[in-house]
Amino acid sequence: MSGLVRDLEGLLEARRVFAQQEDLLAYTNDATHRRVFPEAVVQPLTTSEVGKVLEYANRKRIPVVPRGAGTGLSGGATPVPGSLVLDMKRMRQILEVDQRNLTATLECGVVTQEFHKAVERLGLFYPPDPQSMSVCTIGGNVATRAGGPRGVKYGTTKDYVLGIEAVLPDGEVIHYGGKSVKMSSGYDLARLFTGSEGTLGVITKVTMKLLTLPPYRQSMVAVFGELDAAAETVSAIIAAGAVPSGLELLTKSSIETLEAFIPLGLPKDAEAFLLIELDGHEGKVHEDAGRIIAICEAHGVRETKIAQSAAEAERMWFARRALFPATARLAPNVLIEDATVNRTEVPTMVREIKAIAERLQITIGVSGHVGDGNLHPGILTDKSNPELMQRAEAAMGEIAKKALELGGTLSGEHGIGTLKAPYLEWEFGREGVQLMRRIKAAFDPNGIMNPGKIGAEWGGANV
Amino acid sequence: MYKIADFAKEINRCIQCNFCLQNCPVYLEDAVESSVARGRLNLIQALLVEKTLVATERAGELLNRCLLCTNCVQGCPSGIPVDDIVITARAELHKEYGFSLGMRFLLKQVVNRSTMTNLGGWAVSIAKRLNLAPDAIPHLVSKPFEQRYLTKIAAKGEVRGRVAYFIGCATNYLYPETGEAVVKVLTECGYEVIIPEDQHCCGIPALAHGEMEAAQDVVRWNAARFADLEVDAVITDCTSCGYMLKVKAAKTLPTDDPYQGKVEAVAKKVVEITEFINREGILSNLRDRIGDINGKMGEAGAASANVRSEIATAAEARQELAATGDSGASLKVTYHVPCHRAWSPNLVQAPRQLVPNLPDVQLVEMKEPQKCCGAGGSFFVDHESIASSIRGHKLEDILSTEADAVMTQCPACRYYLSQGLQEKVQVVHPVELLAQRITTR
Ligand SMILES: Cc1cc2nc3c(=O)[nH]c(=O)nc-3n(C[C@H](O)[C@H](O)[C@H](O)COP(=O)(O)OP(=O)(O)OC[C@H]3O[C@@H](n4cnc5c(N)ncnc54)[C@H](O)[C@@H]3O)c2cc1C
Ligand code: SF4
Ligand code: SF4
Repeated sequence: MSGLVRDLEGLLEARRVFAQQEDLLAYTNDATHRRVFPEAVVQPLTTSEVGKVLEYANRKRIPVVPRGAGTGLSGGATPVPGSLVLDMKRMRQILEVDQRNLTATLECGVVTQEFHKAVERLGLFYPPDPQSMSVCTIGGNVATRAGGPRGVKYGTTKDYVLGIEAVLPDGEVIHYGGKSVKMSSGYDLARLFTGSEGTLGVITKVTMKLLTLPPYRQSMVAVFGELDAAAETVSAIIAAGAVPSGLELLTKSSIETLEAFIPLGLPKDAEAFLLIELDGHEGKVHEDAGRIIAICEAHGVRETKIAQSAAEAERMWFARRALFPATARLAPNVLIEDATVNRTEVPTMVREIKAIAERLQITIGVSGHVGDGNLHPGILTDKSNPELMQRAEAAMGEIAKKALELGGTLSGEHGIGTLKAPYLEWEFGREGVQLMRRIKAAFDPNGIMNPGKIGAEWGGANV
Repeated sequence: MYKIADFAKEINRCIQCNFCLQNCPVYLEDAVESSVARGRLNLIQALLVEKTLVATERAGELLNRCLLCTNCVQGCPSGIPVDDIVITARAELHKEYGFSLGMRFLLKQVVNRSTMTNLGGWAVSIAKRLNLAPDAIPHLVSKPFEQRYLTKIAAKGEVRGRVAYFIGCATNYLYPETGEAVVKVLTECGYEVIIPEDQHCCGIPALAHGEMEAAQDVVRWNAARFADLEVDAVITDCTSCGYMLKVKAAKTLPTDDPYQGKVEAVAKKVVEITEFINREGILSNLRDRIGDINGKMGEAGAASANVRSEIATAAEARQELAATGDSGASLKVTYHVPCHRAWSPNLVQAPRQLVPNLPDVQLVEMKEPQKCCGAGGSFFVDHESIASSIRGHKLEDILSTEADAVMTQCPACRYYLSQGLQEKVQVVHPVELLAQRITTR
């Protein structure tokens, strides 16, 4: 592909075009293990630069892979051979926070946590809190419909997108939506780009809905002797209508790993832990906390521990954020599953995962945002051991299948990427997948946008 | 020992989460993922473990363009010793490809203090050889700290204990006033201070530049001088020397090296001076002898007397201004937290806890006290442009506090910040602020 670099350097500053192997290597994967070298990486600064690059790539039929922070867990930002990676992290301006309309307009490369800080300084609140929020980007969040612990009460990224600016593969820029909180005109293109994983075009700007910051928060941990009891407690809490702003399940193996990293003083012989956060007005928070403790007690909780200070609460949640990385201490590679079921099915799903682990003789640590039915089983594996890798992938497939059987979905928040692309038909049937494929072709007739993602055969020569 | 084979497993534990994007000062400037810990680890793995890439100039550049600041390590949930791995890779690439590293010549001279004879000539000759801007070269004092003191200094008043003092190169050649302050505080608080003769550099600059053997030599040499002393603690005033002595020294030698025992004995006793002051609660010994000096920077050695007189003038000017207000003159200090901080539990809080004991000193926090200043030991010499962009944010943060002085326990930060701040704000070691306010017995 000679001349590519020269062409790109004609479109944007040379120092924002990378094609040396050492630089490309850093872009060969997201947070999953498979690595593919792209042909070049470019870093646009403006929507118009994105447009120029896409128009060029479309003309030359060069596959384009949009990339935020590369923290994705489904292989969505992993390049395809011969591709051009669009590193969007330099487009990182928060353009406006509108306190009167409770909206914010920002570029796609803004880091989620920076966005949190910016709005919280004004007493406002943007709830979605993917555990990678210290580095992941709003663009990546929108493109994957990212969620987080607060999803149980506040929903996920998809519930906050009001408007979008995106560049289509031919370089045309579209705008859809804006600050209006309701809109009933035309197809909802903002929703269509939300969760599109870079397969339809490049999201350059978004307008997000904001809330006001809850005045009070409280966190607690409940320790259980049995995993089942903890899972049953989750359903009971939800059924009782005491909606926590975070309800996370951690199991024994995860606690052992966490304690080694951030000692929280939790008993190591317990089987399961619920990490719970409540927010709102102080009186109501205390009242709900009392109800939740009573429910835990009715389910045979061993002990409950309320964070005594904001710092202690932050420590608990920091530990939770470190969970996946900490798990990685146990094995060379971890495949993080993302199957999601109705909240009432959580106990069944937890039991099924245990059974799958036993059957396939593989270690699976169960944790996750159980409050919204989103489990993150961590399958321990080693990519240098093909036989084990095969069993790990089989476990992923079985967990996915089971979640669908229970009326759930393949992915709660990480997206399909390449890892789950083979299972897409299980969820949507042939007709459903065909329709999605036609939508993809309508946006991207040449199939240059992130080929092979969501649909294994979408894009490239196959469209 | 620093061998890439020993680190292959550690590299494998990197789960590619990219959390290191958050804090890497170099990434925050360069904004390319090859400049962050994950990118470096993957590169090292490809070059030296899997050997799927052949090193080019760019590989050398990417690996040299790391401050070894450990910000990535501190935020890495997998606890990967990124700086150790980069150090090792530098040494091996150097062996395998003969990459030249800017400061090699200088290091050979510095690590072994006995070869340093004509200091002035030394500095000039380095400047010539490296073709450096004059302000990158520190102006060395004419009489190093080690030539000013006896090897054993008696405690004053009631004896509380006995400690050894490790003199870092910066204190020795650049900031002897820090050494004087350390000795003053310790002896006034009742400690006998042992200063072993013929100490050498801690070895961390040699490690950083891939000079593994030179580093091993000084590690053994220093361990032999300190291990058998009957002391309660080995005091350091430099956070990087402390990191080296406490954590890295043992890793520098082969596991079965006969000196390992001595290295460990020293490591156990190493304490940073402000942390020691706090931990031992020794200020109580001084309670009625810490005085108000009207927000000035007080007496110290002759080494940088002219600088100090400028400070005094500045402080006097402020004092006059403040005289219209009702509060007495006070020195507003802000604290720059050195990057090499994770080796000791409380060294980040210790200087802050010192301040309330100083009647005329007031602490104002900057926005991001922990953010790197760009010095990175001698990184700023070889990588002037990126270092100064990193420093730019820091200077802005410092100036916006309107502080009169910055305190920090790292002499490289001190040097580099003071070059950037010029005369506007002074940079001191917190122990100096304390020492200046102690009335001697
Ligand atoms: C330790 C860890 C914890 C995590 N925790 C959570 C969690 O709690 N909840 C959760 O939902 N996820 C979580 N994730 C997954 C990941 O962080 C999210 O999917 C996140 O939204 C990805 O953002 P990113 O900026 O890294 O995007 P990337 O990984 O770079 O990209 C993700 C996808 O979005 C596309 N994309 C990125 N930017 C654009 C754009 N501007 N326009 C069009 N397409 C784009 C890419 O092509 C790719 O398909 C976690 C990941 C890790 C490593
Ligand atoms: S934070 Fe640690 S584990 Fe994560 S990518 Fe960086 S070095 Fe690897
Ligand atoms: S040591 Fe510092 S400069 Fe080097 S990779 Fe880590 S954070 Fe970046």
